[in-house]
Amino acid sequence: MKAIENKSLSETIYFKELSNGIRLFYFPKKDFTKKYAIFTTNYGSINNRFRIDEESEIISLPEGIAHFLEHKLFEDEDEDIFTKFAQNGAFVNAYTNFNQTSYLFYSTDNFYDNLDLLVNFVQNPYITDENVDKEKGIIAQEIEMYVDNPKWRVFFNCLKGLYHYHPVRIDIAGTVDSIMEITKDDLLTAYRTFYNPSNMVLFVVGDLDMERVVNTVESAGKKYEITNNKVSTLFDNEPREVRTRIVEDHMSTSKPLFYLGIKDNNLGQKGAEAVKKDIITNIILDMLFSDSSDFYHELYDKGLIDKSFGAYYTGKDNYGHSFIIGQTQDPKLLNSLILEVFKDYNKYINNENFLRIKKKEIGQFLMGFNSIEFIANNLTDLYFQDFLLIDYLDVLNSIDYKDIEDRLKEHFDEEYTTLSIIWPNNGNDLSRDGDI
Amino acid sequence: MDISRERIGNGIYLNKVITHKFKSNLISINLIRPLERSEVSLNSLLSQVLGRGTTDLNSKAKLERKLEELYGAHLSVNISKRGERQVLRISMEWADSRFTKDETYEKEVIKVFRDILFSPQMEDERFRESLVEGEKKNLINKIESKVNDKRTFALNRCIEEMCKGEAFSIYQLGYVEDVEGITSKSLTDHYKSILNDSQIEIIYVGKDKSLIDGSLVPEEYLDRKNIVEVPREYIPNENFQKNHIVEKEDVSQGKLVVGYRSNIPYEDNLYSALLLGNEIFGGGPNSKLFKDVREKNSLAYYVGTNLIKHKSIILLDAGIDIKNYQKTMDIIQTQLDDMKKGDFQDEDMEIAKKAIKTSSQSIIDSPHLMGEFTLGKIISKDGRSLDMMIDDIEKVSREDIIAAMNTITLDTIYFMTAKEVEYNEGN
Repeated sequence: MKAIENKSLSETIYFKELSNGIRLFYFPKKDFTKKYAIFTTNYGSINNRFRIDEESEIISLPEGIAHFLEHKLFEDEDEDIFTKFAQNGAFVNAYTNFNQTSYLFYSTDNFYDNLDLLVNFVQNPYITDENVDKEKGIIAQEIEMYVDNPKWRVFFNCLKGLYHYHPVRIDIAGTVDSIMEITKDDLLTAYRTFYNPSNMVLFVVGDLDMERVVNTVESAGKKYEITNNKVSTLFDNEPREVRTRIVEDHMSTSKPLFYLGIKDNNLGQKGAEAVKKDIITNIILDMLFSDSSDFYHELYDKGLIDKSFGAYYTGKDNYGHSFIIGQTQDPKLLNSLILEVFKDYNKYINNENFLRIKKKEIGQFLMGFNSIEFIANNLTDLYFQDFLLIDYLDVLNSIDYKDIEDRLKEHFDEEYTTLSIIWPNNGNDLSRDGDI
Repeated sequence: MDISRERIGNGIYLNKVITHKFKSNLISINLIRPLERSEVSLNSLLSQVLGRGTTDLNSKAKLERKLEELYGAHLSVNISKRGERQVLRISMEWADSRFTKDETYEKEVIKVFRDILFSPQMEDERFRESLVEGEKKNLINKIESKVNDKRTFALNRCIEEMCKGEAFSIYQLGYVEDVEGITSKSLTDHYKSILNDSQIEIIYVGKDKSLIDGSLVPEEYLDRKNIVEVPREYIPNENFQKNHIVEKEDVSQGKLVVGYRSNIPYEDNLYSALLLGNEIFGGGPNSKLFKDVREKNSLAYYVGTNLIKHKSIILLDAGIDIKNYQKTMDIIQTQLDDMKKGDFQDEDMEIAKKAIKTSSQSIIDSPHLMGEFTLGKIISKDGRSLDMMIDDIEKVSREDIIAAMNTITLDTIYFMTAKEVEYNEGN
């Protein structure tokens, strides 16, 4: 077992690769009642075209397959997985995003039994033609729920405008049509390809006994014959240019919704370098667009933005983008004012702002450590970028003003933006009396 | 964990939860108001205006910059609805000095926090006209944007129809036409009056016994005369409306909300049984609704119920294909009937008990949940500790649950359907 300590944070994290190939991390959280485990495969919605090894042919699976598989792993031959966890007083859940599928639970009692269940159900799929069919109705309703959500629509329309080919432009759950095509064989192909221990990681957080954690996972984990996975996801060459500069749509909203995306063309980083770029970009976005900035208040006083206005950057090694978002009466005017700032940012950016926002980032990161979920989810996310969360403060502290200036010149370029707007439908009123 | 409650003035209490396990401190000051149409919009607007600055930090930009300097201390000024009460809350959470290794800023955090309520930015003893007008506009936008989230909108519409004539039907953010009529004078008057007659609860969760004391509240407020006592909510016993409301919206999925009433108030011993019955009926992925509506019949992705404590109302919500309305309603009815007949397993009961126990035990791992829990106990005048509450849940029998579920009556069905789809109740 390896102990990795971070002195400035005074936290230690333990790591062990088990004989069954599972990589296990334990983060002790003394005096916490709640215990949490999250078992993740590095497989999300963007991995739907791949090759098992260099010689094999390209496999393409329907959109939404990773998310569908996540639903299906909850099937069991005798009793459903939800009930098994519930019998132990645990709450089990799962989620799929662009890059990962995670299975998790938290409990206060019976932690080790639950951990055994978690490892077992993720490693033992029970998928039949019947239960695949049954799931289609449920997932269709999940998709419909998002279809009715204007915030989701304005977000995905923006991604579709930014990217020509990269699968981050595809809805995580797929479409009602694409999921209807999914078969048991597709799911098993995806499972065999991506649910190999060499592609997975297990994080455990809480006030626990490490040895018992290790023994539980060691005996629950299945032996895999091939642990050295050579799977590669295939991405078409994504041009630097955005696909389209503007995407407009209509829905039932009170005001137009605004989503301005900036495509990141400086990609390929891993580890501390990737995290550093991420933090730098988010600090810049805060300096320009958070409610401590002058620019924010110029827009606010003009009545162009409200409290919903904000910005963030997100990315991985093969894609990345900043978003500036909110609701506004005049999206096109707001867009042009923001693009002006890209050219003339000196008015808003200075070293004093930078140091202040850096201080904020430090405090907020520390506060995040109150939450077991924050710790485990971020550990997982960063792990797949070859980075350990507990080193985050060191990277943050290493950033200086020069980094900010360089990134500003590089990333904030009008040419690589897409503006997505949802306009309110006309005659958007419910036929009823009274006020609501 | 050391919990205390101290009276520091007439109608003013300081509640402390002292613990070392968090990396932050959290303090809130809560003004408890009756939920009334005449003041709901004023309180809502006041929360927006107070959040814009203090006498010393007399603009939002200055305030936010100060908070950033204080290691990103998180300030929130908001209103919430708790039964038939509206709570105006100012809260501040900040990183603990043990971890920032900086001893200088915590006193400053407390000062900013105190000033938000007691020393807001004013001109000639009034809120600045332009500030009030700007925030009126923002609040109106916020109220109007509730139509954007159709699921929450449907829930609110159901409550509104179901509780017509009861204070609980009032929308917590306020009403556009009422906001429009507010002036800087009327808002200032209201601010002064609620400082003088509200029950004030201060809640601190953190490490330091001495950081927070009575000096948080200016002396002039310690000896206030008439404190508004908000009465306990009314729980109707009969004559439910049997509403059936269908509204057309731009949606592709139908949003179904069903409101039921029970006449068991939370003070009653049987209330724990109602809590458990609700958990078995629609509480989580092991509930009857989840298993039958979702897993067995593939009709919904989300389906579940919530028990609204102060009103003893159960709200069910589900997103379904519009054509499956009747089929879904039939299944829901069958499941509720089964509950009333006692047609559920002992194991379901045990599972529900464990679920509530786990959620309850997890409260002490979060400063926010600890704060919420403390305020909830104060409002419902519940003197029990967390362990006692869990004990009361453990003691509930099958018969209790059946008895509790038999008090449940259907009141209102609300269905949001698509504009272009012909909705036919009988299909």
